[in-house]
Amino acid sequence: MKTLPEILKEIRPEFDFSASSDFMADGMLDSFDMVTLVAALDKTYGISIQGTDIVPENFKNLNTIEALLRQCGVQL
Amino acid sequence: MAPVTTVSQVFAAIQGAKAGASAFCTNFFPAQGKLQGWVDRAELLGQFQDRSAFFLRKDRDFWHLYFCAPDVATLRQGIEALPNLKTQRVAVDLVGSEAVLGDLLNALELAGFRRYARLIRLARPGQPTQSQSSSGGEVVGYADKSDCPAIIHLLECSFDRYADQLPTLDEIEAAIAARQVLVVRQEGALAALLYFESQGFTSTVRYWVVAEQFRAHRFGSALMRHYFSAQGVIRRFILWVTADNENAVMKYRHYGYVPDGLIDHVLVNEMTLQ
Repeated sequence: MKTLPEILKEIRPEFDFSASSDFMADGMLDSFDMVTLVAALDKTYGISIQGTDIVPENFKNLNTIEALLRQCGVQL
Repeated sequence: MAPVTTVSQVFAAIQGAKAGASAFCTNFFPAQGKLQGWVDRAELLGQFQDRSAFFLRKDRDFWHLYFCAPDVATLRQGIEALPNLKTQRVAVDLVGSEAVLGDLLNALELAGFRRYARLIRLARPGQPTQSQSSSGGEVVGYADKSDCPAIIHLLECSFDRYADQLPTLDEIEAAIAARQVLVVRQEGALAALLYFESQGFTSTVRYWVVAEQFRAHRFGSALMRHYFSAQGVIRRFILWVTADNENAVMKYRHYGYVPDGLIDHVLVNEMTLQ
């Protein structure tokens, strides 16, 4: 199974996501990328991220995305 | 529709549409700063019904429509019930990959909208360690506030107000203050400009144009080279271009831009076409 950094790297290969604490502010992800990322996370982990959880705060950095995945029942 | 007076009103309406949505659909991806500006300038109207949220944003002589709905059927019903569509010019953008936009396009066309333009997003990687030559950059400078009237005139003459999200005077002034408008001046006139937005490691070319009487002087390439040479930290360059503007697409390809799969379908209502 792909790891979260691998999924992010597939969406935006030009960035080092581990070096950022705020993907949006650093211009590494935009709203459109967020939609792509949600679809990739749903598919990879067999989950369905709720619409109410698709907010920038949950996609700010690796820690917040991992927290969201755990909330959805994913064991990381 | 009623004026939207706070940003939190907008986010609460979006959350209301998302809650329990089976197939949430939206074309509303507001950046907080821009949204605050629209609210402050009283440019935004809102209507909230049946767990759907609709927003109209004033732009020159027409409105941009944004929507948030729990599913496509609810969206279509909501749009058909909007009174403004019968009396005002309205344009709507649908952004996503071509494969996922089909149902939304269909719903909007059934609700009375017509396809107007199709834009594609182009991207190129940045090379932060290899600053490019800025030869020709001697004619290029940053715009100042006195350039505003000429900039807005050149943009309005050269681009499509329904498809190209033309900036307001306030937005142009802010871009100038942020040194995000490069210009070439000739004979006391604005000959060419490159208007961009940079956020972190990503930079977007919003407009790149040479006035008709100044073409064939290589001002466009001077601007683009200057732009790239001044963006050392940028890792990703993107822009939107009308898909059937083959000349523009060819020029961007020359600079290494290629389509990244994201599409923007612009639709307008019947009032706009009359």
